[in-house]
Amino acid sequence: MKYIPTIGIECHVQLCTKTKLFSEVNNDARGKEPNSCVSPVDYSLPGMLPRLNGEAIRMAILAGRAMNCEINPRSRFDRKHYFYPDSPKGYQITQFYEPIIGAGYVELPSGTRIRIEHAHLEGDAGKLTHFDSYSLVDLNRVDTPLIEIVSMPDIHSASDAHDYCKELWRLMCFAEVTYGDLYNGNMRFDVNVSLAPEGSDKLGTRTEVKNLNSFKSVERAVEYEIKRQSKILDAGEKVIQETRGWNDAKGETTSQRSKEEAKDYRYMPEPDLPPINLSDEFIEAESAKLPLMPTDYRQIFGDIIPNDTLEVLLDYPTLMKKLGQIEHEYTKKQSAITLIANLFASVLLAEEKSAEYLNDLPSAKDLIELVEMNNNRELSSTATKEVFLRLFDPQMKGRGAKQIAKELGLIQENDLEALEKIVDTVLTKPETKKAQDDFRAGQEKVLGFLVGQVMKESHGKANPSAVQDILRKKLS
Amino acid sequence: MKIKREDILHLANLSNFTLSDEEVLSLGKDLQDIIKYISQLDDLDTSEVKSTYQVFEMENVWRSDEIIEQDASSEQLLALTKNEKDNQIKVPKVL
Repeated sequence: MKYIPTIGIECHVQLCTKTKLFSEVNNDARGKEPNSCVSPVDYSLPGMLPRLNGEAIRMAILAGRAMNCEINPRSRFDRKHYFYPDSPKGYQITQFYEPIIGAGYVELPSGTRIRIEHAHLEGDAGKLTHFDSYSLVDLNRVDTPLIEIVSMPDIHSASDAHDYCKELWRLMCFAEVTYGDLYNGNMRFDVNVSLAPEGSDKLGTRTEVKNLNSFKSVERAVEYEIKRQSKILDAGEKVIQETRGWNDAKGETTSQRSKEEAKDYRYMPEPDLPPINLSDEFIEAESAKLPLMPTDYRQIFGDIIPNDTLEVLLDYPTLMKKLGQIEHEYTKKQSAITLIANLFASVLLAEEKSAEYLNDLPSAKDLIELVEMNNNRELSSTATKEVFLRLFDPQMKGRGAKQIAKELGLIQENDLEALEKIVDTVLTKPETKKAQDDFRAGQEKVLGFLVGQVMKESHGKANPSAVQDILRKKLS
Repeated sequence: MKIKREDILHLANLSNFTLSDEEVLSLGKDLQDIIKYISQLDDLDTSEVKSTYQVFEMENVWRSDEIIEQDASSEQLLALTKNEKDNQIKVPKVL
């Protein structure tokens, strides 16, 4: 039988605040020892009280706006109780009843809209590492601010699930609320999948695959669940509602111990945190700080940058920002944007060190200077690429495109008089005599040889097409 | 509402408590009494009353996002745990 999959996705985004959600310790534990970014609040020592980080509220507003969501003026926190060593408190502080972010939607590159049910603020749990006979607990991650984004079950294919997660990642990166490092778990996805026979208006029993940390694993896990559940339904059996884990190496999901039901979490109001009550003015002022989003860039550059290139570049907020700057500052936009977008996509991203380079891009002024040298034919396309890469080189950057091109001797000779002189020198050389005669006798091919000789004489600086023109004139 | 023995055992299990038979009995009785006491509210018409979230009437108590040196060092905090290994807290295996 043919089944229609229905998919809803919950996504946890770690916010890049300086301090944790409820304590004043460093929230950035990257490259630090386990249990080094901790406070008595994280350890939940008796008498310790949480203190809410205002920056997390501001970031939540930006994240919400990035997803076209309503921001709820009033929100508050609740305790979600569970017993597990990743939480010394014995509960997670979350927003169960009144979340800060309301309904909205995310638009995929294909134009499909996925509705957002709501999103809320909460503290992350500690990290467990399991060994044969014991587990180790690292509390660095405890109460790192998270936004949990809950989608409506609007997704109906594995590829849309992939695209939705990727677009969410882009939105959060462009909104600058997360480092967006998937490898280190900055964004994690839980995927709910159910199947219903085609034409049926009732949803099937769903399973939840937890803790996926890449778009690819989301796509593969959904594909696997669709196949697995189809087989069960085809055999006339029932899908069990359960939580499943994803084994990336084996490419399969496996049943996990069943989790508590909602009532077992014994949600209760968090008495230590007064509610949030935002004025319209505050929400508006914070919302106005939202940087340009992928949709905005698609609108601005849709006609100038080929779609394939644009979608590649949209994975790199810093590059898009730079293109936006050039668009803003330079009058001859069209050619400049096309050239630089191409250099970004085909030259920069192919570089081994591109990841380092992305954090410290050359100024718009440097890039515009490069564009102008290319447009004036002072630089060949090969030389343009070379100078472009040197703009990122720690040894050379900051000197400007012109200076770098001069130092490397890459500026093309376009001065016709000077070029003519060089051509004359070459034509008086005895070793070019035969080629000249051959060309006059109609052999087009030898022109290449003569151009080569002129290039050699000019130490590679002559503009080859100009040289060709001069040679044709002289040999006619 | 009647609190059953299974309810107490279920709650104990959620919190990872081991209770003796006597404790199950006495805690069951306590919980029953507490619920009975609170149930007096059922006699009142509260349909017009907004549920209370907190009693201090404070709002928007935030702090700025600045790192502050903690009084207790990470070493002191880790030393509070029963077992440690490689700067981590060692616990019985859980999955």
